[in-house]
Amino acid sequence: MATIKQHKAIGEDLWKGRTEKINAELFALTYGALVVQLIQDYEDYAEVNKQLEKMGYNIGTRLIEDFLARSSLGRCADFREVGEVVAKVGFKSFLNITPSVTHSAPTAGSRPGSVPQQSSVPTSSFILTLDENPLAEFVELPEEALEGGLWFSNVLCGVLRGALEMVQMQVQAEFISDVLRGDESTEIRVSLVKYLEEEVPVGDD
Amino acid sequence: MSHHLFLLSPSDTPLYSLTHYSTKPAQAAAASPLSANLPTWSTSAFAGTLTALSGASSMTQSHYVQGSGVKMGGGQDRHVIQMIANASLDAIEDVMRRDGAMYLKSVDKFNEWTVSAFVTPGNMKFILLHESKNDEGIRLFFHDVWELYVKTALNAFHTAHSAIRSPVFDTRVRASAKKHL
Repeated sequence: MATIKQHKAIGEDLWKGRTEKINAELFALTYGALVVQLIQDYEDYAEVNKQLEKMGYNIGTRLIEDFLARSSLGRCADFREVGEVVAKVGFKSFLNITPSVTHSAPTAGSRPGSVPQQSSVPTSSFILTLDENPLAEFVELPEEALEGGLWFSNVLCGVLRGALEMVQMQVQAEFISDVLRGDESTEIRVSLVKYLEEEVPVGDD
Repeated sequence: MSHHLFLLSPSDTPLYSLTHYSTKPAQAAAASPLSANLPTWSTSAFAGTLTALSGASSMTQSHYVQGSGVKMGGGQDRHVIQMIANASLDAIEDVMRRDGAMYLKSVDKFNEWTVSAFVTPGNMKFILLHESKNDEGIRLFFHDVWELYVKTALNAFHTAHSAIRSPVFDTRVRASAKKHL
């Protein structure tokens, strides 16, 4: 299995090798306009969060194909490695940022396909700490958004959920803190719910 | 020595105003933390009392667009300041047509007040009323305010040409004022 250094190198290569990049300001402005429009349409911040997550989910299910095709990485040994790959290779190749990962798995993680962890034991999870967020350049949340509980970059959670679901992992991704809301750092917690059996995806009958 | 800054949209709507006192002990009570320098349209009774107390110093203006022009007791200068600022707009436009530069130095003079202006490429006007001469400092200050304004304008939650309420912007403008003026 690739080591951390190799992951970093792969991520770097993927980013450099990518021919179509988008201007960061344009990206941030577009995303900002999107969020503001959603807020105007739904007028409920919890709903906006949900919609952002849904949009991210749709992006993630497609993104994983691109990612696997370019990186040609094999299956991850355990959830810990999933966290490493997501942070060092995934985020790096698409957003050119490398969030730091903190794992919290009670055991060394399980092989894919094995019995999911019991609910009495806390499931594996990792926390991504983003020191910079290209989606939130120039953004300042107004009062109402702060009170309403808006997670501005919630699309990222959706992307993680969608992408990992396509590789047979059902996860829950959520923001724990966000500098836009005045917290110290921006953190996303990704916790493994269960490994999925090879089956027809939920909702596709 | 005080300075009054106004940010005006292309349609001459005030979007932001600030009164800054430099740290020169010129004013009597003015150096006190006049937190009533709210860069908004909301005038409070507190501001009125303070105005009456601090005599010659001017306080923040009521929002021009609101039109109600809340009159507070005392503080005659406030209206004078507003009048001077508005009157200078004509002079600014004249100079704008002639001179293509952004920083129009001093466009108008009224008693002891000089009006300096800065016009951004987006036709935003920054007007500064000041008593003393400080070209270089004022130029740097205007540039700082311009950068801060651009950053605020890029915020997705900011509607173009609407009043600027961001506390971050306010803090930074004050810091810049302290540094340059």
